[in-house]
Amino acid sequence: MKTATLIRRNLLYYRRTNLAVILGVATAVAVLSGALLVGDSVRESLRDLALARLGRTQGVVTGAQFFREELSSEVAGSAPLIAMQGIVTHEKDGRRAAKVSIYGVDDRFWRFNGIGSQTGVELSEALARKLGAASADSLLLRVEKPSAIPLESLHGRKEDPGRTIRLTAGGILDAKHLGEFSLQPTQGDVLAMFVPLRRLERDLGEQNRVNTLLLASPDFPQDRVTLEDLGIKVRALPQIDGFSVESSSGIVSDALAGDVAKAVGARNTHGVFTYLANSIRIGDREIPYSLVSAVDWLDGRELAVNSIYLNEWAAKELSAKAGDAVTLDYYYWEPSGSLTTRSAAFQLAGILPMSGIAIDRDLTPEYPGITEARTIGDWDPPFPIDLKRVRPRDEDYWKQYRTAPKAFIALATGQKLWASRFGKLTSIRVEGSSDADEFARKLRAAIDPAQLGMAVFEPRAQVLQSAQGSTDFGQYFTYFSFFLVVSALLLAGLFFQLGIEQRLREIGALRAVGFSAARIRRVFVIEGFVLAIAGAVVGTAGAVGYAAFLMYGLRTWWRGAVGTGLLTLHVSADSLAYGAIGGVAMAWLCVVATLRSLRKSTARDLLSGMRGTPEEPARESRRLRIVAVIAALGGVAMVAAAFTRAIPDTGGFFGAGALLLTAAICFEWARLRAQTGNVTTVIGLGVRNASHKPGRSALSIALIASAVFLVVALDAFRTPTVSASDPKSGAGGFPMIAESQLPLVWNPNTPSGRENLGLANIGDLGKVRFYAFRLRPGEDSSCLNLYEPRTPRVLGASREFVDLGRFSFTESIGSVKNPWTLLDAEPSDGAIPAIGDANSITYILHKKVGDVIDANGAKLRIVAALDDSIFQSELIVSDRNFVRAFPEEQGFRVFLIDGPASIGPKLEESLGDFGFDVSSTPERLAAYHRVENTYLATFQALGGLGLLLGTLGLGAVLLRNVLERRKELALLRAVGYRPEHLRLMVIAENGFLLIAGTVIGAVCAFIAIAPAFFERGGHLPNPSLALLLLAAPAAGMAASLAAVRAVSRAPLLETLSAE
Amino acid sequence: MLEARNVSKSYPTPRGPLAILNDVSLSLDRGDSISIVGPSGSGKSTLLYILGALEPPTSGTVTLDGRNPFTLSDKELSAFRNKEVGFVFQDHCLLPQCTVFENVMIPEMVAPPDPAVGASARDRARKLLDQVGLSHRLEHRPGELSGGEKQRVAIARALIRSPRLLLCDEPTGNLDRKSASHVADLLLEINRDSKAILIVVTHSAELAARFPKSFELIEGGLESR
Repeated sequence: MKTATLIRRNLLYYRRTNLAVILGVATAVAVLSGALLVGDSVRESLRDLALARLGRTQGVVTGAQFFREELSSEVAGSAPLIAMQGIVTHEKDGRRAAKVSIYGVDDRFWRFNGIGSQTGVELSEALARKLGAASADSLLLRVEKPSAIPLESLHGRKEDPGRTIRLTAGGILDAKHLGEFSLQPTQGDVLAMFVPLRRLERDLGEQNRVNTLLLASPDFPQDRVTLEDLGIKVRALPQIDGFSVESSSGIVSDALAGDVAKAVGARNTHGVFTYLANSIRIGDREIPYSLVSAVDWLDGRELAVNSIYLNEWAAKELSAKAGDAVTLDYYYWEPSGSLTTRSAAFQLAGILPMSGIAIDRDLTPEYPGITEARTIGDWDPPFPIDLKRVRPRDEDYWKQYRTAPKAFIALATGQKLWASRFGKLTSIRVEGSSDADEFARKLRAAIDPAQLGMAVFEPRAQVLQSAQGSTDFGQYFTYFSFFLVVSALLLAGLFFQLGIEQRLREIGALRAVGFSAARIRRVFVIEGFVLAIAGAVVGTAGAVGYAAFLMYGLRTWWRGAVGTGLLTLHVSADSLAYGAIGGVAMAWLCVVATLRSLRKSTARDLLSGMRGTPEEPARESRRLRIVAVIAALGGVAMVAAAFTRAIPDTGGFFGAGALLLTAAICFEWARLRAQTGNVTTVIGLGVRNASHKPGRSALSIALIASAVFLVVALDAFRTPTVSASDPKSGAGGFPMIAESQLPLVWNPNTPSGRENLGLANIGDLGKVRFYAFRLRPGEDSSCLNLYEPRTPRVLGASREFVDLGRFSFTESIGSVKNPWTLLDAEPSDGAIPAIGDANSITYILHKKVGDVIDANGAKLRIVAALDDSIFQSELIVSDRNFVRAFPEEQGFRVFLIDGPASIGPKLEESLGDFGFDVSSTPERLAAYHRVENTYLATFQALGGLGLLLGTLGLGAVLLRNVLERRKELALLRAVGYRPEHLRLMVIAENGFLLIAGTVIGAVCAFIAIAPAFFERGGHLPNPSLALLLLAAPAAGMAASLAAVRAVSRAPLLETLSAE
Repeated sequence: MLEARNVSKSYPTPRGPLAILNDVSLSLDRGDSISIVGPSGSGKSTLLYILGALEPPTSGTVTLDGRNPFTLSDKELSAFRNKEVGFVFQDHCLLPQCTVFENVMIPEMVAPPDPAVGASARDRARKLLDQVGLSHRLEHRPGELSGGEKQRVAIARALIRSPRLLLCDEPTGNLDRKSASHVADLLLEINRDSKAILIVVTHSAELAARFPKSFELIEGGLESR
């Protein structure tokens, strides 16, 4: 017979024990591989979902401004569309949906995606559901009105930044028909509305213009982009043999100014800044509503900082003479959200004759509502004007000279007075060239469209990156399944050990006939390996089932953690292999560790069925007690360190927990080892039986205690409800937070702002204070977003908010009383100081304080981390840095509101046109906490499974104990014990082990979590936890029924006689 | 020749060392067969295990043909037991998962590889099983045998490597009178044929009486009866 035959015989003969080992390993492998499969499944689901929602889009071109629809016909395989966000209201019942993706599309879009053409207004299923809308229902769409002119500039139209469009719902599109079309990855429902392109263009006043192109290939021929597409106008100026370069925004950005200089050389260009003065005054004489140009040349005249030149007409009107003090009054749009009148004083340096530059109407760019007006009386500017001040002479001037400036100042002075973040010029004059085409070609070649807001991106590449996920579920489930894996492996090891103990005499016989200890070990190692492999095979099949079960849980019971029901199982061979290899390796290590204990056994010991000469109980007990004391001291020290914040809560919890559990289990082990005293009752005898195999009993207690520890501790980490009134809480003492879909440019704290916003009629607004934030839209960086945020949302916080010093921080760079003030620091290496929520920074962005994040093209350095706050979805920078980094973002969209909660609905109603959505801060925090708590519930469930496994293992150990002690039990029967006595003994032993494990686990957990518990304001365990802790011993008692049954049924007396 | 000189054995206990054997000396030649009797706990099995190199003495030496097994490494010691010593235990210690034939062949599994011996070992196993009257039970499992049959399988296993020393620990302790007599006959017959040194430890005065020499262990010392 060969060794292989012997091993085969062994495996088959001891199949029951081996089956238990296989099941233990299989459970470990199933849990391990299953956890990895969950990670794969979430990643793959997110990827598939986002790719499916992209349709056939390979590339996307987006413009900061609308561009020619015709560009699409010049780019093969592209489709033009308008993509924007809107608010849709069901006209009949008033149900409203905000943040709806609005797509203006035509046949080209549907053809591009290989879908039959839709001609009406189509809704996604989720939007139809949310609105309760059906075909032919009337819907009101509210969108931001596109405008090239910045809202926060003097000429921006602020009174109504939106447009309302009445539409009739056509059909409802499901996901297969691209109803969930989305260019940004999101795992939740997609609220989308498809509107005929022509209709949307018409209602937005953007005929034949779009803001997005879908590309069938990631390559975009950038040379097809014209100056017009970029909002650049080149006006021929025959009078100077040159051109005027202007922007459709009315302001030339610094980037464009640089490009012009690059194209034709700085020497040949002159900057112009023309601004409207409400009055030009000398003493009590004044001219209303005049254009003033700031220039860097004036036909060879010197332009000092405070000097001004008037044209002859103006000088005459004001009876001006050189040296007179001239005052300009002008409107200025304050970035904080108000229109003020400012004045600037000059000294008249000279009077220009009415020729040349003095009557050059081309110094003024086009301003809708002004430049095209026939008379001043026809002006329709976006700011108040008093037409009573306009005299017939002024109208005459307008009629004759139109927009020709009446006054001239130095360019540097004009820029100091009127420049904004949008630019420092209104036009650039280029001289010395008359070939317009040649100039346009040169200029276009010098421009990078991306710098002027025309971006090209590959959504698929972004999806593939984002779908890696902000949260590695595979890692999380592996961590939290760890206990299950360890339980399963301990059980596998335990059964393997039992199998060896069962065969000690056999091993002794092999030793006697000449098998060396090494050879015998080798036989068992191979057996263990075969069992581990078999377990891995079974476990791999189980892994698919386990992962399917967890995915079902994520779609249903734990949906709160993922926010979608669209996650499906994806089986990856790699994960199955990793799990199987990991499980086999760990199981094999258990086997090898078990076999090591055989080394101490002599052949004689083995032949007598013993595993080595037992160590003197008192000595082993003493050693265990020493370990227990050291571990207990270490545990208490870690708890104290966590209390004093010398170490982090989490580290303290895990460290203290492990040490305290070790201490308690070693202590109990020692107690079992050195069992003394008299047993006087049947129950006492049962409890004493636990000391029959102290190591085995200690292991059973450890299994139960560890599982209970995990379950109790996780429950205590559930996040409690936050008080909105505490300025240091996660709500910062603000009861409400609001988000407006359309930007608010007026300051809602000032009477004029409230007037302009239509809030003046709300009675109790006096007690309300708004803290406004600018918003750079981006991806949600909170736990609500499963996709890894590539470009997180950014908020700009006002000085006033920073000075409040509210909220609590977990960490900051340097020690400052108010970490918000760190936002004021100047960007040292181009990275803007930013503050984020600690959870989002760590778990979603995977960064730490001090790290730099690329957010929407701006580099942000995290300087402080907020403690569990309402700002989990975004990063916050100072307002000053925000407008520098994102000058194109207009107005304020996020508001913290200090005031009575009753004001919320009134604000929503009054600002309904802006899509103003108010929510309570505790509710917002609760939404984040719901995700956290769902994670905890998920992992608690896994801990519960571990507990179940532990109790089942305990039942198996008990059964083994009973079978091993048949002789003793038979003896008890022989001396008059009835079967019920024996059953009572088994139950007492099991009950003791269960109670000891439960008490040790729970007490250690309560001590270990104490620091976090008190820091978080104390949160008592849920009643469900008490039920779970009661259910665990009950399950354990049920698991011991097999042992009780064995006692009842075994022919013990016959066993006795046979022996 | 088996020679034990001044062999002592004691075990550590909380109350100090417990002496089991005290200065035991014994010398046996090839073909000798003896029985050793003594009350329970007198150290009979301990002596047997020491003589069979399963357990080292606390002091004293044991040699078989001048070779002291306790100076060998674990590997060499295993090979020594495999080649030179055959054991028969009271509860036979058969591998329940193997057939009768396979149980007999177990020592051959760890014997040095020798293809020429391979076939003869199988023949020898069959012959031995025939000799112990179990040629019709080759493919049976131990669980299908009576106590006497199991013990005869154990004897065949002990003889498969043609050991020079055959040690039996209560070989008839679990058997009925008839089976015990049969096993005793067998052991003596084998001793006669193989010329191996046979040492039987027993409680049974009847069995002990069948051996030419009998010793008794009294208070750790070996006395001739």
